[in-house]
Amino acid sequence: MTALNVSMSPPASSAVRPVDGLVDRKLALWHLVASLVFLGVALLAGFSFSLQFLQKYPFPGIELLSPGRWRLVHTNGVAYGFLANAFLGCLYWAVPRLTGQPVYSRALSWFIFWAWQAIVGVTAVGLILGHAQALEWGETPTYVDPVAFLGLILVAVNFLTPIFRAKGPMYVTLWYFIAAFVWTPLVYAMGNFLAQYLVGGAAGGAIGGLFIHDLVGLFVTPLGWGLMYYFVPIILKKPMWSHGLSLVGFWGLAFFYPLTGIHHFLYSPIPLFLQHGAVITTIAIEFVVTTVIINFFGTLAGRGDALRTSLPIRWFYTGMVFYFTTCLQCSFQTTLTFQRLIHFTDWVVGHAHLVMFGVFGFWLLGSILYLFPRLIGAKAYYSDALNSWHYWLSALGTLIMFTDLLVAGVVQGNLWRNLAPWEESLIASMPFWLIRSVSGTMIIVGNFMFFWNLYKTWQMTVASRQTQPAMPGTSPMPA
Amino acid sequence: MIARPDETRTKRIVIGCIAVAILGPASYGFFEKLYLFILAVKKDQLAGFTIVPIANYLIVTAGMVCLLLWATRHGMFRNIEKPKYDMLEREAELDALDEQTRKNEP
Amino acid sequence: MFESKSGIFLIAGLGFFALSFVVMAVLPWMIYYKEPEQTVAMMAQKGMVPEFADLAERYPEQFKKHFGEVNYKTYAEALQLGHDVYVAEACWHCHSQFVRPVSNEDLRWGPVSHALEYQNTLQRPVLFGTRRVGPDLIREAARRPNDWHVAHFYNPLSVQPTSVMPAYSWFLDEQGYPNKKGMAIITYIQSLGSWLREYPYFEGDGPLGPAAHPEQPYGGKPVPKQVVNAPTEGSRQS
Repeated sequence: MTALNVSMSPPASSAVRPVDGLVDRKLALWHLVASLVFLGVALLAGFSFSLQFLQKYPFPGIELLSPGRWRLVHTNGVAYGFLANAFLGCLYWAVPRLTGQPVYSRALSWFIFWAWQAIVGVTAVGLILGHAQALEWGETPTYVDPVAFLGLILVAVNFLTPIFRAKGPMYVTLWYFIAAFVWTPLVYAMGNFLAQYLVGGAAGGAIGGLFIHDLVGLFVTPLGWGLMYYFVPIILKKPMWSHGLSLVGFWGLAFFYPLTGIHHFLYSPIPLFLQHGAVITTIAIEFVVTTVIINFFGTLAGRGDALRTSLPIRWFYTGMVFYFTTCLQCSFQTTLTFQRLIHFTDWVVGHAHLVMFGVFGFWLLGSILYLFPRLIGAKAYYSDALNSWHYWLSALGTLIMFTDLLVAGVVQGNLWRNLAPWEESLIASMPFWLIRSVSGTMIIVGNFMFFWNLYKTWQMTVASRQTQPAMPGTSPMPA
Repeated sequence: MIARPDETRTKRIVIGCIAVAILGPASYGFFEKLYLFILAVKKDQLAGFTIVPIANYLIVTAGMVCLLLWATRHGMFRNIEKPKYDMLEREAELDALDEQTRKNEP
Repeated sequence: MFESKSGIFLIAGLGFFALSFVVMAVLPWMIYYKEPEQTVAMMAQKGMVPEFADLAERYPEQFKKHFGEVNYKTYAEALQLGHDVYVAEACWHCHSQFVRPVSNEDLRWGPVSHALEYQNTLQRPVLFGTRRVGPDLIREAARRPNDWHVAHFYNPLSVQPTSVMPAYSWFLDEQGYPNKKGMAIITYIQSLGSWLREYPYFEGDGPLGPAAHPEQPYGGKPVPKQVVNAPTEGSRQS
């Protein structure tokens, strides 16, 4: 039975569960739960690392709890544990429903699930034991790299099959997904194999920069935007403002984004004309981003009340405002003028946190908020207040952290340029680092409230099912 | 069935205005800088060393524009807004189906 | 083409990636591939830093146990192990390894970094770094004595009260002497920048102070007043 037929004509027999044949709810749920577990670990790791900056690290002098190593767990946990798992969970929902085709193989999907958790787990243990590689976000130990690469290819096969089987013109989400599935394994191989084994020195630095930026631009960004193009219209029950304009956004991203890598190492020994090229493309991206943002706010026009009534929509559009902010910031900070001052300072750290948590984290948390009741068959959340707290604490925490680190970066850059003794830049940074830890605490508290809410909702659903097994009202809640 | 409005007049005007607002200053900036760049290269100034990346971008962009024109001539972009309506309809169908099967459950 | 599956797969997916790879990765590689990448053994042959021998003098028993004798082979071994420790502890997250030509960095740290300094296997992947919580290290050779490093790794606050660097007590054995890891990372750090003709450059001073090089203390630039009056990092710590 192909699922395409199913979506055309509902089957007569109630014993058949065509929708579940299309979407493996349990698999999607497990991916989302795994992503939240890793998010929790990554948040705590980041917080404890931030205490080191206040000279208050709780576990000093213990090799396996060295803050330097746990910083690796923080960044890699977010990238491969939280983001990758959450994306997979959402993809298992979105791709079959968009194409009308189930993924390539259910057994393969489960294999990927367990393999990916093993990869992330082994990576975390390897990093703590000191097997890291010297490439930002490519620190995954060398023995994990080939396995992770194979895993990414399996993911691509699993999802590209339904996309290529579907007939008719494609929706914009699927363009982004196709490109992401091609790019991610290529990027991963380039960063982890070429830079490690073949090309060293300044040329290797160029590849490293390309890898760092491609991981954001060609793995996280297309999947994130693809999900937004899917979730926003279906929650608003309203088509995108312009499907044609999204074509501009997609092709602009595809062309310009991969060409920006070297902007991570401006004023470095990499040839200057290449640095100039990277600066030009980075600024060009800002124009592309503007078209996408116009499209999404055009879609929202007339439904602004959804920001108040629908929490997922609020997460999504907050993320979009942050996205526009980071991209605007990026087109300035990438210029050589800005780089003189802010390179190597906390400015960049603030930028990274806004992109990774404020944008993609927000989009995924919003998606999880939308999907979770549908996946477990709950009518409503245990507490809407907790969800609201989660949103406000995360949003305020991120905003405070971003602003704080931005200012800290300018202060540090000026102290360095003025040739003040190095310690002065540390002393001057301490108050900023304190605010950073506090804002981080806000984010952590908000997210653990969310975890608690999810747990209670699940408990409630199980309990209601046991008391009323024939309850008909397990339909998904409205958004 | 979701209403599928054709391109409305207001929408065209909005798109036209945005296009002018973006393309106007952008092309002014681009062509002015290109002119300065050509002058710099002619006078053999230092800026000439960026000729490699700029030539790369210009050539590839020109190729993309040619592809775009070719694709338009061969009938693409005619019904470009269709998938966004199809997608919403399929989603509604799936939701209805979902509801149905859950109600029929023993 | 622009909406079709194969168009997106081939042009956007493979094509644009290949384009970016050529422009951003192959091009720089073509510029530098003629410069042979030096191995650790070759670097060691070029010259050993005196600090390596100093470790053997200060901690003879421990040095004998961990490395044996002072020669180019054990020096290369120490460099490689030191680099590996530097990567494993993610030192490069808080310490950069390149001096930029802007922001007065050449006054603070010494000559601006050159691409050829990175053509060796210890810079694969390159350790440019990503953040400067602590100072840059590419001109660190001989700035501070080995003793300072041992005390600093044991407890950074003992020599630098404002430091936010964690203590790396596992670089030291029970008696407080540097163990193999500790000796290796000290050797590695003391080697950074030792390939320059003249080093170290203290903040505000040339290798032997401005007076010794009146011809060009800062590439011919006049020395800023505040630099001359500022206490140098080297003198402050020792």
